[in-house]
Formats: sequence, C-alpha cells, structure tokens
Amino acid sequence: MTFLEMLLRCVAVLMVFLVFPLVIGQTEHKVMAHMQGRLGPMYAGGFHGWAQLVADGVKFVQKEDIVPADADRRVFQLAPAVALLPYLVVLLVIPVGPGGFVGQAVDAGIFFVLAVMGIGVLGSLMAGWASANKFSLLGGLRTAAQLMAYELPMLLAAASVAMAAGTLSLPGILEQFEWWWVPWQIVGAFVFFVAGLAELQRPPFDMPVADSEIIFGAYTEYTGIRFAFFLLSEYVGILVISALTTVLFLGGWHGPLPDQLGWLWTILKTFALALVVIWLRVTFPRLREDQLMRFAWTTLIPLALAQLALTGIVKVAITS
Amino acid sequence: MSLLAAAGPLEPAARSFLSPTGVEIVFLLVGVAVLGAALVTVTTRQLVHAALWLVVALGGLAVEFLLLTAEFIAWVQVLIYLGSVVVLVLFGLMLTKAPIGRSPDADSGNRWAALAVGLATAGTLVTLVVDAFRTSWIDLGAGAGSAKATGEYLFRHWVLPFEALSVLLLAALVGAIVLSRRDDEGKKPRPRPGKLRAGKPVGTSSGKES
Amino acid sequence: MKLPGSGLAKGLAVTLRTMTKKTVTAQYPEVQPDLAPRTRGVIALLEENCTVCMLCARECPDWCIYIDSHKETLPAVDPNARARTRNVLDRFAIDFSLCMYCGICIEVCPFDALFWSPEFEYAETDILELTHERDRLREWMWTVPAPPALDPAAEEPKEIAMARKAADKAHAAAAAAKAGDES
Repeated sequence: MTFLEMLLRCVAVLMVFLVFPLVIGQTEHKVMAHMQGRLGPMYAGGFHGWAQLVADGVKFVQKEDIVPADADRRVFQLAPAVALLPYLVVLLVIPVGPGGFVGQAVDAGIFFVLAVMGIGVLGSLMAGWASANKFSLLGGLRTAAQLMAYELPMLLAAASVAMAAGTLSLPGILEQFEWWWVPWQIVGAFVFFVAGLAELQRPPFDMPVADSEIIFGAYTEYTGIRFAFFLLSEYVGILVISALTTVLFLGGWHGPLPDQLGWLWTILKTFALALVVIWLRVTFPRLREDQLMRFAWTTLIPLALAQLALTGIVKVAITS
Repeated sequence: MSLLAAAGPLEPAARSFLSPTGVEIVFLLVGVAVLGAALVTVTTRQLVHAALWLVVALGGLAVEFLLLTAEFIAWVQVLIYLGSVVVLVLFGLMLTKAPIGRSPDADSGNRWAALAVGLATAGTLVTLVVDAFRTSWIDLGAGAGSAKATGEYLFRHWVLPFEALSVLLLAALVGAIVLSRRDDEGKKPRPRPGKLRAGKPVGTSSGKES
Repeated sequence: MKLPGSGLAKGLAVTLRTMTKKTVTAQYPEVQPDLAPRTRGVIALLEENCTVCMLCARECPDWCIYIDSHKETLPAVDPNARARTRNVLDRFAIDFSLCMYCGICIEVCPFDALFWSPEFEYAETDILELTHERDRLREWMWTVPAPPALDPAAEEPKEIAMARKAADKAHAAAAAAKAGDES
C-alpha cells in the first residue's frame, strides 16, 4: 500500500464519517416527522429542508463554548473528542465491498471494533463527571451501568458469528458467508442489534439521557461545537452499528453481482437498518432503568448464550 | 538520545541499538509515556484524574503490544481494561461522588510500603527478563501475535492452565454471587399493607413487556 | 393467546401506517389557511352605514370601541321646513388588545355597519398599535365574504320584497298614468 493510497483511503473514510451521519440524521428528521403526521424541516436549503443539518452545524459553531465555573475544565473539554474519535477509527475497518474495499483490514477485526467502541463511552462518563452537575452525574452513572450490562450480550453475539466463520477478521467473515447464516444467526443478530442500540443510548434505551428526568444526562452542560460532537457521535454510532450488523449478520456485500455492486448492497443494507433504528425510536417509549437492566441480564444474555450454543452445535455437525 | 542511553544498559550487545529502527524508537517513546502516565496515576490527588491517567497508561500498553505485533492481545487489552475495568472504576468513583479538584484524603500512609513493593517488583521483573533473554534477538515477523497464532498456542500447548484458570474464575464468580445474595432469604421485611414502601422495586409485574 | 411481542409489532405498524398517510402540517405562510366563511377574524366597519348611534360602544362588554362624532346641521330642503341635523363620524376605533371577539357589537348594530372578516394577520409589535382606526377597519370591509346564499325554499328577504313591492307599485302607477293619457 503506497502512501498515496493510504491517504486516499483515510480521506474516503473521513468523507463517510462526515457525510453519512448527516444523511442518517436528515432521514431521521424526515422519517420521524412523517411517522408522526408532520412534515419535518422544510426551509433550510430550499428543497424539503435538505440542508437542515448543515444549518444546525453552522448554528452550533457560532454558539459560545461555555464551560461551567465548577467543572473540571480539561476533562470537560476533552470528553467530546473521546466520545467521537473511536467511531471514526471503527469506520476504518468496516469492509464495504469484496477485494480489499475497506479502509484497513485488521486481523482481529471484531475485537478491534468492539474494543474501540467501548472507549467511546468513556467520553460520556468523563462528560458526566466533569460537568459538576447532578443530572450529568446521574446520566454518567446510567451510561456506565448500561454499557456494562449490554457489552456482554453484544460480545457474545459477535462471538457466535466469529465461531461460525472461524475467523475474527471482518472481511474474512464475509468471505465465509453463506445465505443460510441469516436464519441460523437470526437470534444473535437481534441480540447484537438491540445491544448496539442500548450502547448508543438510542430510544427506547435512552434512559441515560432521559430528558424528562435528567435533562440530557451527561451532555446537559454542553453547548456549541462540543455538544454537536456528542450528537454527531450518536449518529456515527447508528452508522457503525448498522454497518456492523450488516457485515456480521446480513452478509454485507453479498447480493447479485457482488464483485461490481457489492458496495451498493452493503450501503443499502446499512441504511435499511438505520431506518429501523429510527423507526424504533419513533414507535417505542423509553424503558425504565430497572426494565433496561432486567432486559439485558434476563433476556439478551440467555438468548446470546443460546445462540452461541446453537452455533457451536451446528458448526461441529457441519465440520464432522 | 537520552532514551537510547537509558535503554542501552539493558541490552548492550543488541545488534541494532546503534541504528534503531523507527518501530524501536516509537516503542521506547510510548514506554516513557506509559511510565509517566502511571506515575501521575499514583501521585495525583484528583481521584478521577487518576482513573483517566490509568486509561492513558493502559492504552499505551496496548500500543506497545501492537508494536510487538501482538495484535490480539492489544485489542483484548483495550476491550477488557479500557472498556470494562476503567469504566467500572469510574462507575465506582462517580457512585461515591468523587469531588472535582483535589481530594484531601486521597493519600495513604502505606505509600512508602507501596513504593517499596513496586520497586521490588519492577526490579525482579527487569532482572528476570534481562537475565532470561540477554542478547537473544526475537524476530517479530508479522502475524506472530495474530488471533490464529494466539489461539493455536493457547488451545494446543496451554490448554490445561487455560481451563484451570477458567474454573478458578468461575469459582470466583459463583462466590461473588453467593456473597452478594446471602442476606436475601428470610430477612426480607414483609410489606405492610396500606403503606407505600420506600425502595420497592417498581414495575415488578411489567418486566415481561420490556 | 397473544404472541409475545405482538404489541410491539402493532406499535411498529401504527407508525409505519402513519408515515404513508398525508401529513396534517399546515404550511401557513406559504399556503393560506382555508377558513370558514363565518370565521371571526377581525371586525370590519362599513362607515357609510354608521349613524353614530353608539349602541355598539355601549354594548361592548369590555369597552373597546371608541367613537367620536359631531353634529352637522343640514340646510332645510324647502323654505318651510326646519333645518335637519345629522351625526358625522369623526373617529371609530376598536382596541383589539381588549376585544374578546364576542361579536355583540356586530349583533346589535341596527344599520349593518359592522361585519366579521376572516382576516387575521394584523399582529403588531406594540400593544398600543392594536387600536385600529376607522380607515383600517374600512379596509377590512373588502375582505368580508358575501353572505351565504339563502336556502332555496327560504322566504324572500324583507328588503328585496319591499323593494319589489315599491317597484311594482311604481310600475302599476306608471302604467295607469299612461293608460289615462291615452284615453
């Protein structure tokens, strides 16, 4: 890989990082509005408010960057970057098409992705603690509890796929993929997707930012560009979770003409899943904190373990 | 060049320290950063800052693993230590309302003992490693620390220790559960009818709907 | 027995169905609202009809109608008659910051000088400017819709019936006079 090619790949990933979350965010604006019988943004940019998020970004940049007097300045200011950057790094390793159509193939891709995504939550924790605000602190605590509860089923579900494919590398998994993996791993897919939603604190798992109780959780004290970073990280998170579910459970680039159109299938599946994320947000009310915890420990983890056992049995039956 | 001088006595006869490669220089720099972060972790008076510096130190260690081509171990380090252990530590600190700014009682009378133990451990390890490897040169071929290689080592040559460790962990886990649930039976205060009980777990009947 | 999760599926179906339906958002500044003919938007004044009888100002529950006038003496039409006086309207203003849109003034006006208009875009930045004078009230007269058509089976309106009677009478008289001339 030459230096130029590396640079090109990095720029491509950065473009995806900057553009796709905005597309998802705009889709959320419009889809959510129509699901509620509204129109959503109609002014910015002229045609059906397509530039709403650009306008939002401009607004956020103009706002004053406030740090509360009692806050821990450095930690407070560093937190948005810690929350956002891991997702950028994760995007680097998600394969889009066959034949090295990926930012950078990593040998233990699944591990890498899950590990780096776990760091992102540190940002929320830092924000929650450093804001010197009790609502922020509560939000941070809830974030931590939720992360610890949902990381495990997510890992187990991902492990099930890795076991089925016999490799930890994301392109490697896709090369092994057969269509019947979808029904085989469907429970794992459900667990992974739901746990991913919970890690992103998306509704109905948004107890850490429950606005009717704790304002906006860990992000209460943030304004301007730093607040925008947190929001952006949520939407990049949707992209990452959807793309990962696509790659691990829905066969990524597999579809008609995978060599020419593989990238298209990946992107289509990813956006379909992102649409499901939005749909779930519009439809379901927020889970209470105890329901959240019970759901993770008594539903998702047993399901993930059952899926793991099933995968093991089928795998042994196939290979023997 | 002081870095090289510091590293020099460890392996004086190493063949390439006179013309270090880029990887080696980065390795040493990261090592110094990890050491610095670790020192700040134990000396800072701000509890949460200590935990965050621990993140830096552990992350630096992961980078060191990467530089040694032990890719799998590096990601496990990030996943377990950064993603879980530090989050747990931060959770604990936040639960006990760690103050912003210095904690006046963030000090321990044992620090000299701790320093002695730390120095002794470091001395032992350094002596051991230096004595064990001396001037031998390990060629870090790519893929030597990949998941495949690690798995093969673990499940071919070290199966028994691995299983023994898992049983040990399982025992600890069961023990923790038993300890935490011991007071649960018999002593439960019976609900008084007609009065709202504080601390009643809400939504016990609606859990299925989630 | 209900399947577990059927409630969740039903919820998803509801939102999906709503998405395919037409939205209810009114895009007001671009698209004017379709208002009913009897909308109580603002009160318009047809000052030609006003006789300064002051009924509206007196009946107004919160006294938001201000009327000033003076008397004018008209010269006698013929030498034997005495000079007539008539009221001339100097000021007619409605304070819409007080008005509660009860419509009593419109009800009591005996000469049909006040009307409901569906016009509603008369917000001001200062509360004092909400007292609209008679020129503005007169302008709103143009926005008053025509009265709704009568029921086909309804009785003929009194004004028209009387006008027709008068016209018929004049016609008959003219015809009679003509007949008298000829004979």
